[in-house]
Amino acid sequence: MIDGFGMKALARDSVLVQSLLQTTAANTDRVLVIIYLNGGNDGLNMVLPLDQYSAYNTLRSNIAIPQASALALTGNDTTGLHPAMTGLQSLYNDGKLSIVHSVSYPNPDQSHYRATDIWMTAVDSTQTADTGWAGRYLEDRYPGYPTGYPNTDMEDPLAIQIGYLTSTALLGSQGSMGIAISNPDSFYQLVGAGGATSPGDLPCCDAGELISFIRQQQALSVGYAGEIKKAADAGKNLATYPTSGVNSLADQLKIVSRLIHGGLKTKIYFVSLGGFDTHSGQVDTTDNTKGAHATLLGKLSDGIALFQQDLKLQGIEDKVIGMTFSEFGRRANSNNSKGTDHGVAAPMFVFGSGVKHSTIGTNPNLSDLSGTGTNKEIKMQIDFRRVYNDILNDWFGAGQSKTDTLLFRNFPTVSLFSNMVESVASGDWTDKNTWTVGRMPFPNEFVRICPGHTVTVGQSVTLRNLKLDGKLKFAGNYKVKLTG
Amino acid sequence: MPYLDTYTQPLTAKTAAHLLRRATFGPTQTEITGFTGKTAAQAVQLLIQNANVSPSPPIDLDSTKATAGQTYLEKAFNGDRNFDFGTYIKWWWYGIMADQSNKPALLEKLTLFWQNHFVTTREVVDDYRFVWRYFQLLRTNALGNFRTLVTGISKDPAMLRFLNGNENEKGKPNENYARELQELFTVGAFDFAGNKNYTEDDVKAAARALTGWKYTNYWVNGSTTFDTTFTATKHDTDAKVFSAKYNSTTIPARTTAPAGFANTGEADLSDLITMLLNHPETPKFICRKLYRWYVNPNVTQEIETNVIVPLAQFFAGSSNNYAIQPVIVKLLTSQIFFDTANIGAIIKSPLELVIGSLKFFDQPVPPMATNYAAYKKLFGDFAHWRMRDMQMDVIDQPTVFGYEPYYQTGYSRIWMNTTTIALRSDFTDAFIWRWLVVDANYYGTGVPYKMGIDVLAWATSLQTNFSDVTGTPSITCVDVLEAFTKNMFATDLFQSQKDFLIDTIMMQGIPRTSWINEWNNYRTTPTNTNRKNAVTYRLQNLMKYMLRMAEYQLC
Repeated sequence: MIDGFGMKALARDSVLVQSLLQTTAANTDRVLVIIYLNGGNDGLNMVLPLDQYSAYNTLRSNIAIPQASALALTGNDTTGLHPAMTGLQSLYNDGKLSIVHSVSYPNPDQSHYRATDIWMTAVDSTQTADTGWAGRYLEDRYPGYPTGYPNTDMEDPLAIQIGYLTSTALLGSQGSMGIAISNPDSFYQLVGAGGATSPGDLPCCDAGELISFIRQQQALSVGYAGEIKKAADAGKNLATYPTSGVNSLADQLKIVSRLIHGGLKTKIYFVSLGGFDTHSGQVDTTDNTKGAHATLLGKLSDGIALFQQDLKLQGIEDKVIGMTFSEFGRRANSNNSKGTDHGVAAPMFVFGSGVKHSTIGTNPNLSDLSGTGTNKEIKMQIDFRRVYNDILNDWFGAGQSKTDTLLFRNFPTVSLFSNMVESVASGDWTDKNTWTVGRMPFPNEFVRICPGHTVTVGQSVTLRNLKLDGKLKFAGNYKVKLTG
Repeated sequence: MPYLDTYTQPLTAKTAAHLLRRATFGPTQTEITGFTGKTAAQAVQLLIQNANVSPSPPIDLDSTKATAGQTYLEKAFNGDRNFDFGTYIKWWWYGIMADQSNKPALLEKLTLFWQNHFVTTREVVDDYRFVWRYFQLLRTNALGNFRTLVTGISKDPAMLRFLNGNENEKGKPNENYARELQELFTVGAFDFAGNKNYTEDDVKAAARALTGWKYTNYWVNGSTTFDTTFTATKHDTDAKVFSAKYNSTTIPARTTAPAGFANTGEADLSDLITMLLNHPETPKFICRKLYRWYVNPNVTQEIETNVIVPLAQFFAGSSNNYAIQPVIVKLLTSQIFFDTANIGAIIKSPLELVIGSLKFFDQPVPPMATNYAAYKKLFGDFAHWRMRDMQMDVIDQPTVFGYEPYYQTGYSRIWMNTTTIALRSDFTDAFIWRWLVVDANYYGTGVPYKMGIDVLAWATSLQTNFSDVTGTPSITCVDVLEAFTKNMFATDLFQSQKDFLIDTIMMQGIPRTSWINEWNNYRTTPTNTNRKNAVTYRLQNLMKYMLRMAEYQLC
C-alpha cells in the first residue's frame, strides 16, 4: 500500500498538507516588492489636494504645482497627481494603484536615520528593535535561516535586494534574510563555483562570530548563484524599459520582473530610489512642474508603470504587489530655498492587480495642521503598520495572530486586499475614523458593520451591499440603497 | 578589567600588527618588525610623528592633457575638468595611505574618520577647490581641537553647500545643517539608553542661529579665489531659546557684534557650539564613534560604563578641553584596545582590504610626479573602482550619515554580502594572476611592474643554497605555509586549518613528500617550464585560497 491511494491523497496540493504547512494554496507564490524612496519624499507635491488648492498655494507658493497641471484621477475629483506621474495616473484609473493618504505613526521622528529605522523595524517611536519587519516574517516562515539553506523546500533566496547592501527591513535575528545582487547576469560568473570548505574551527569572541558570518555568506552566494542564473536565463522582460542608466528604479524593477518571470521563488524584493531629501531647489527656477523632485517622481511613476505592464505581459500580474515608502514626508510649508524641510505624514502607494480600493484615507486637511507659524505639519491618518498588517496577514496569509506578533501588537486592517469596507468602531457613517479605509465608503463598495459596532446614519447612503453584523442607527428618515 | 589603563607590555608581532591594522590601512612586514618590542606609547607616538604633514599636492593625472603632471589647485577654476580634478584628490590620497616608506602614520585613517563624520561629498559639493579646502580642514585639524573642527566645518564652503547652509536665511530658515550638526556631528540623536538628546524646536532655534552664511565664486570659471562670507541682513538677530535638553540656553538677541567677534553670526556660532559641546552627550557620542572605528563596533553596557563614559569625561574635561590627540593616544594605548577579544573584531573596510593588501604585499607606489601614468593605473583605474564597487568611495558617501557599516545595525558585517564577497575574492585573485600591468617598463628597467605576489620568488627566498639540491634540504610545505601566513591574519589559524591548507589546497590530496620532489626538481632545472609550473601552481592555489578565507577579511 505504500505506493497506493493513501500516499496519493497526501500530495503537496491537498487541503490537508496545505493546512499542515499553515499556508493557503493561493498565497504560496505571492511576491512583495518594496520600493524605498530615500530621503523623505514631499508627499504634498506628489498627491495634490485639489479640494484645498488655495490653502495649498498659501503654504508653498514658491514650489506649488499649478492646479491646471495636476493629473486628474478617474472617479476622484478631489485628488490629483504630480504632472510627471502619468504612468501612475493610468495605473490608478485601471484600479491597480491604491493611494494611502497621510501615513505616519504617533510621535513622529524627523531624523533620517531614526525615522528610517522606525519604518524598517516597524516599532513605536519610543521603542527599538534589531530586526526588520519583513525579516521577521521571513524568519518565521523559514526558521533557522541561513543554516541549512538553500534546501529542497526553498532553493531560492528568501529576499533579494537589488544593489550591494541589504536593508534593515530584511534583518532577521541572525543577520539579513536576504541577499544583495547588482546584476544577475554577472553574479554567477563573479561568484564562481564553490571550492573546498575549510574546517569549521572558530576563534573566540567577535572575531569568531564574524568568521562564521562571512563563511555563511560565502556559502549562500555559491548556493544561490546557480538558481539565480537559471531564473535570469529563463525570465524575459516583455515591456520596453528605458536604456540602462536613465532610470535607476526602472533598471532595478526590470531585474525583479525578469527573476520572478524566470521562476525564482523569492518572496520579497527590495529596491530603492534616492535623492528625496529636497531641502533646496526641488523645483526648477522658472517652472514648478519641473526640477529635481519632478524628475524623481517621473522615475518612480515610469518605473512602476513599466514594471506593472511587464508583469501583465508575462502573465504573472496576480502574483505580485508593490509598495512605496519614505522615512517621512516634508514640511507643509516650503522654505526660502525652493525646498522643504523634514516633515511628518505622506502618502504611500500600494500597486498591483490585487489592491481593492483606490484610496485609503482622505486628502490631508490643510486647515488642520500641527505645528506653528511657517512650520506646519501634515497629521497622520493611517499608521504605516496597518499597511504592513494587510501585507502580512492578507497578502502573504500569515494569519492575524502571527501578524500581531510580527508587528509587536495588533493594527487594524485598512482593507487593502479586501473588497469589504468594515467598521473599526462605533460612530457616524460620515466619520472617516469609523471605517477601515479611513474614509466614508464609496457607492461601489461592499460594507460590513462589525459585531459590537453601532454606526449612525445621518444621511441617505448608497452601497453595493451591506453585511450587518453590528447595528445601524438612523438619525432621521434616511435610507441605505443597495445596488448589488 | 582595567579598561583605559595603559597597556604596558612590549608589543609582540601580533599586537604590533593589530595596532597597525587599526591605526593605519594595514601594515607591511617591516613595519610590524619595527614596532615589535616597543611599548604601545612609543609606537603610537611614532604613528603621530610619522605623518607626512605637507605632501606635494595633487596633479593632473590625465596623460592626454597638456597639463598632465601639473598641479591645479592653486590655478583658476576650470569647470571642464571639475570631475577629474575632484576625483584626482581621492587618487592622490590613496597614494599617501599606501605609502611604502615604512614610516606608518595614523593621520590618514583618522582623517577618514572625520571625513566620514563630517560628511560632504565630491559629487554634491561639485567644485574641486571646495572639496580640497574641506579635506585640508579635516586633515589639518584631525589631531587638533574638536571645537576648532566643528566651528571650522560650520563655515566651510563645502559644508555650507552640502547641507544648504548657504540657503539658510532669516525668515524661512533651511534646517538641514542645524539638524545634522546636532544629530550627526555633536550631541547625537539619542543617549545610550535611547532618550532623545534634543527637541525639534532645538533644530529650529539652531537653524536661526546659523542664518546668514554664504560662499563666493562657486563654480565660477576663471575665478582664482573663493571664500565664506557672512551677510548680516540674512541673519536672524532675535534671541534663540533652547529646550531643557540644553539647560534652556538662550543665545541673546544681537544687532551688533560683541567685542572679539567679527560679526553677529560669529558670535551666535560661538555660543551655539559652546552649548553643543557643553551637552553631556557630545563627548560620549564622539568617543563611542571612535571606539567603534578603532576597537570594536559592539558597544556593550560594560564598555559604555567603563570606556566611553570615562574617555568622554577626559575628552571634554577642563584639562583637555576637547583636544583630540590625547584621546586618540589614550584609546590606542589602552588595555581594552589590546584585549585579545578585540583583535579581529571588525571586518575590513574596502579601503583596509585594498590599500592594506597593496601595503602588506609590498606593492610599490609609483612616484606620482614622475610616473603619473603608472600611478593613475594603480590607484585610479584599478583600486578606486574596486573600492567603489565594494561600496566605499572616499569623499563620496551615499548619505550624510557616512558609510552604513559605521552606524547601522550589523556594523562592519554590512560590508559583506553575497555580492561584495564575490567582488573581494575577485580583487584578491588579481594578486595571484597578476594581470594588472601597472607599468610595462618600470623605472626604465625593462621589467614590467605587475601588481600582485610573485609566489615563486617568495618561496625561493625561503630556500637556503637553492642550487645545492643534494647538500641542502628542501623547504617543506610547512615552511612555505609559515612564511605565507606570517602576520597575515588577525587571528591564529587552528592546526586543522593549517593541515587543510597544506593537504587539501596546496597538495590536493597527495602526500606532502611529493612537494619535496617537485621543489627539488625545480631547483635542479629552474629553467624547465613544466617543473616551474608544477610548484608555482601549488603556491598560487595556496595563496589564492588564503586570501579568500574569511580570516583575511578581519581587521
